[in-house]
Amino acid sequence: MFATDSVYLIFLGTGFTVGFGHCIGMCGPIVLTIALHLKDRPSLVPQLFYNLGRTATYGIMGAVAGGLGSFTRLASGMGGLQQGVMVFAGLLIAVLGLGMTGLLPVGRIFANAPPLSGLIAPAMRRLQQSRGSLLFLPAGMILGLIPCGPVYTALLAAARKGMEADSALQGAASGMGIMVSFGLGTIPALLLLSRVTEAKWLKHREWLYRLGGLAMLVMGIVFMVKGFRY
Amino acid sequence: MAYSLWRRLPFLLLPLFALACLLLPGSSAAEEERINCAIQEGPCTRSAGKRTVTLNILPKPVEAMQELTFRVELSGEPPSSPPIIDLDMPAMEMGPNQVRTKAVNATVFRGTGVIVRCPSGNRVWRARVILPDQGQADFVFRVRY
Repeated sequence: MFATDSVYLIFLGTGFTVGFGHCIGMCGPIVLTIALHLKDRPSLVPQLFYNLGRTATYGIMGAVAGGLGSFTRLASGMGGLQQGVMVFAGLLIAVLGLGMTGLLPVGRIFANAPPLSGLIAPAMRRLQQSRGSLLFLPAGMILGLIPCGPVYTALLAAARKGMEADSALQGAASGMGIMVSFGLGTIPALLLLSRVTEAKWLKHREWLYRLGGLAMLVMGIVFMVKGFRY
Repeated sequence: MAYSLWRRLPFLLLPLFALACLLLPGSSAAEEERINCAIQEGPCTRSAGKRTVTLNILPKPVEAMQELTFRVELSGEPPSSPPIIDLDMPAMEMGPNQVRTKAVNATVFRGTGVIVRCPSGNRVWRARVILPDQGQADFVFRVRY
């Protein structure tokens, strides 16, 4: 389909262009949630870790698609997992958004909710108190599984590259290369978006911050609905 | 206090849930208007330059995330090289997804490809059949998820 020497550049460029359109729409709410959740702390390093985690997951998926030499086998195998991740991402965005609005003391509610206290309270506490940026790496790795059209398209190319390869190992390496290139290409758009929320006037106006929380809540619910419908 | 807030939570979330359902884009009316091919029912024919191009996608129903066979039939003289099919969505960029076809005979070509699924719920896709140096034909159709 593509010459070997150009395929990585093509998908780096694809990631870059898709990043400014599609990814801002799909991953934008997550990026904004991270930035707004950190409030007074700079979010550049956590955002970088989130994006690297996401790219690492793409790389692993690319290696599997390239190694198998089949897109449909990979897609059918991970459909349910992706649906679950999308619902989980929506829940996470909605819960953090709800906390940001200040309308409800989310942490306290979840801590006192009888059926959920054991499961959610520690996770909420961890998220609210998280100081280390490294936590965003595994978060990015999990959220990298969110179903996404352009990611599928890049995976198709990874699988095709695997079909043309001499061995499964070579196919896996090529597939990983394509997906990592694609993932790296998407990072500038999402980093740029996160920088917008770094503006002090935005974070330090309480009503605007709360409005952002409400938008996050709606977006989280949209994510969940999409996840259930997927 | 916290427990009563917990009980109030569904009343806050329900209208937001309804709003979220309304915000889900799906396929817009403008995209529906672009549809020019009922691919689920059979092959479609469009013109490209002086030729007519007939596209069929099998198996039916045409579903996303499965391997599909694309069959292109051209009128007139055999082309200098096989057609290429670009798959994308009219509404959003999905990255390069091309189907390379091979000749079945002088004017019939076949290739395999996958239409990916878009989590936005949008089902309107476009197959652009490109005849090198001779133009192109766009087929806009609805796929099943």
